[in-house]
Amino acid sequence: MKVELIINGKKCIFDLEPNILLLNLLRDKMDLTGSKYGCGIGECGACTVLLDGEAVLACMILAVDVDGHNVDTIEGLAEGDKLHPIQEAYLEEDAIQCGFCTPGFIMSTTALLKENKDPSEAEIRNYLQGNICRCTGYVNIIKAVQNAAKRMNKK
Amino acid sequence: MKINLKTFVLPFQYNVDKSLEYYKILEKLLNRNEYFVVGKNLIRSDALDKCLGKANFTADYLSKESLIVKVFRSCKSHAIIKNIETSRAMNIPGIEAIITARDIPGINQIGYALPDQPLLNDTKVHYIGDPIALICAQNEEAAQKAEESILIEYEELKSVFDISAALNPDSPLIHTDGNVAVTTKIRKGNIEKGFKNSNVIIEDTYWSPYQEHMCLETDGAYAFPDGTNKITVICESQSPHLVREKVAAILGWKLNQVRIIQALTGGAFGKKDDTGPILAAYAALSAKTLGKPSACIYDRIEMFKTTPKRFPAKFIYKSGADKNGNLTAIQVYITLECGAYANRAPFWLWRQTAHAAGPYEVDNVAVDGRAVYTNNVYGGSFRGFGNLALHFAVEQQIDKLAYELCMDPLDFRLKNVLKVGSRTTCDQILDHSVGIEKCLKSIEDASKWKEKRVPIKNGNTLKGWGIGCAYHGNSTSRSTPDWSAASLLMNIDGSFIYRTGICELGQGSPFGHVKIVAEILGANIESIKIEIPDTDSTPDSKPTHGSRGLMMGGTAAADAAIQLREKIIKIAAEMLDCSLKLVECKESYAYNKENLNKKIPFNEIAEELHIRGLNPGAYGFYASPKRNYDEETGLGINYSVYTFASTIAEVEVDTETGEISVLKIWPSMDVGKAIDPIIIEGQIHGALSQGIGFTLMENVQLHNGNILNPSFKDYIVPSAFDTPEVDDPILIEEAYKHSAFGVKGVGEPSIISIVPAIVNAIYHATGIRFNTLPITAERMHKALKEVKK
Repeated sequence: MKVELIINGKKCIFDLEPNILLLNLLRDKMDLTGSKYGCGIGECGACTVLLDGEAVLACMILAVDVDGHNVDTIEGLAEGDKLHPIQEAYLEEDAIQCGFCTPGFIMSTTALLKENKDPSEAEIRNYLQGNICRCTGYVNIIKAVQNAAKRMNKK
Repeated sequence: MKINLKTFVLPFQYNVDKSLEYYKILEKLLNRNEYFVVGKNLIRSDALDKCLGKANFTADYLSKESLIVKVFRSCKSHAIIKNIETSRAMNIPGIEAIITARDIPGINQIGYALPDQPLLNDTKVHYIGDPIALICAQNEEAAQKAEESILIEYEELKSVFDISAALNPDSPLIHTDGNVAVTTKIRKGNIEKGFKNSNVIIEDTYWSPYQEHMCLETDGAYAFPDGTNKITVICESQSPHLVREKVAAILGWKLNQVRIIQALTGGAFGKKDDTGPILAAYAALSAKTLGKPSACIYDRIEMFKTTPKRFPAKFIYKSGADKNGNLTAIQVYITLECGAYANRAPFWLWRQTAHAAGPYEVDNVAVDGRAVYTNNVYGGSFRGFGNLALHFAVEQQIDKLAYELCMDPLDFRLKNVLKVGSRTTCDQILDHSVGIEKCLKSIEDASKWKEKRVPIKNGNTLKGWGIGCAYHGNSTSRSTPDWSAASLLMNIDGSFIYRTGICELGQGSPFGHVKIVAEILGANIESIKIEIPDTDSTPDSKPTHGSRGLMMGGTAAADAAIQLREKIIKIAAEMLDCSLKLVECKESYAYNKENLNKKIPFNEIAEELHIRGLNPGAYGFYASPKRNYDEETGLGINYSVYTFASTIAEVEVDTETGEISVLKIWPSMDVGKAIDPIIIEGQIHGALSQGIGFTLMENVQLHNGNILNPSFKDYIVPSAFDTPEVDDPILIEEAYKHSAFGVKGVGEPSIISIVPAIVNAIYHATGIRFNTLPITAERMHKALKEVKK
């Protein structure tokens, strides 16, 4: 099936089998390996990407179902050498350990801060509960989201 | 048996090689009022690629042509294999090979401590999921079809699913030499006399269950032929050199025919110590057999169902104290459940045995341990390595004694904790680096403990506070020699390559090494690149486990840096025309401390080094000081040094629902020296979360050897929602004199004290003790109903 997607702002045309998952399309056909496989059934959040600006799980979506839509991945967040404020905040707060869940968390954070410019700690915890991290205990991730909100609100 | 204690005093009088006192060496060598990078919070060097999505994990390296290696596994928990029929599967289009035991060119053995574990089984299966064959396929569909087409003829045997059944004299044997894989023993002082002098005695039994690591990245390995007669494997592990050794033995090759490249690893916590060599061997077997790139990547369910978990263990404790609150004696029986294979059980059991008294001084100790096979999934390495379960038991015993004596649990601990000059469970005299007392006092103040001695009832909630302590020996047990290595190369442009076999698993240890190197060299930290471990070029630093990554590996790094520093200083002194003593290096410049006008950049020094024909590299090697140990009594200098920790937890129990919330945590740890405080805090935060999971939520459900909940949906780990407020961790620095800057391991010890802190807080709130985990809302609700709270 012919599928047209706008991935990280770039129009891409594919001829796909109907059973290809968005995650596999990104990883195998686009070499966008920042989105990770952690469970394959939408439970860990490691594959979180943005679909028209909203956080979705790429392992739960068939690529053919998002024909014509915008998909943004971790690779598209920084502008050249310039990190996105969320990435800067994750670095500054030491919110990254093994880094496997990080792309998913950063994409969820992007969606959260788009919806809610100044989330409370409870709102952050609630929003991120679909993303699992086994290393950081979430403490510094929550600080990073707060730090990112401050950075983005200053702009 | 009479113990000659003199033997064990010796090591502290034996002429400790002063050249090993890295703590003092570095202080003297660097002579800085304030360190440049050590002790400072820096942004770790691996984090940038990780936040950009550019960090490569195993699955990110796969070529599109790579074959899929799928493991065909036993569906029986205990059976003889009569026949393996693969011909039908072989005829499926897309199947390139089905590899069974007879196709293994080398030794079909992957057991860690004992040779009881074939890589592929052809005579018997020992648990549901035991590997029998490897399906090498061009695509997933063919692999699945082949899996359905392999026929195994089994002769079923009676299975054994718990330790008491396995110990029954009539029990079927899981392995030929009986169901007890290994035993341990400690005899210290006079146990009868000790109990005779006790005014209170507490006896109880505890059960610590399986825990799954739930690393975010699933296990994987990718192997490809590297010319003729060589295979390269990119994989995750905790010791690339151990992986190489195992893979070479399986392939029947020399070590230099196997190259292991350690990919970044998406969480390990001990898991990859065990799965690393196995998956690498699977992928390498396919690559060697077929001459094609081959990848074995588990999905979540396969990883959960078939790979090692935290070993379950049963503890029968008898602990005594006199009326003044002094511990008098402990007697402990430990039964460890190995599951289908011994794997790390001998080492795990020994750690529990050697730490059985907890971080307290007890004169009279008797411990007997045994590790028992069952037909459940086998156990393996996991953060805390035996000590998490052990402290869950011993710290409740201590708490119970305190309450029985009407003493404050914290005061009771303070009275008995190990101090400088104390003797541990195995009679090791601690002559320095014992910070548990400071840990306890610091969180007593931070939490305002004394104001929190009365539980609070508010409507249908009960609030309480509990404390837990921990200690954890660093590096090898039983005085087994331990060493590590590192290499450092100065490039001609003044930049550096640092090589260590200590793996980046998320814990940040290699970055800690680089900070040590940068401090010693006075180099700009960004000028030092860490090469990913590659057995073709990286020295064998020994494994990233046993709380030794920074303590041992970082000290080897220091050794390399000291050597290179000498050369840099020598050349700089000549170029600056001053004495060696006056040279200081900072930010990759050398200058004369008394004349700051002239600065020589490291690139000029590097060039000079090469021109003069001086070796621009250094190989660092560090071996821990000699220890000794008596096999008969279990007594001796078991561990080089111990990390100490204590935690206070505040919990709230909902009496209507049984739901338990951990509201706040006050952690403290004696880390020796904090090379990077923010990374240590990160270790503590993560450990708290994993510890809370183990205590309250994580529950591997087994039925007749089948794991019923192998996913994030059914095996609940803490989410951002379950994280309590965490007070700033208090880091105590009681330096270890034989490591670089005095550093001790932190990743493992940080998880141990959280579990008893919560369990003891639950008791404080509700008056209910739990002798097994997890304490789910359902169990709590039931227990509350029983006591009518």
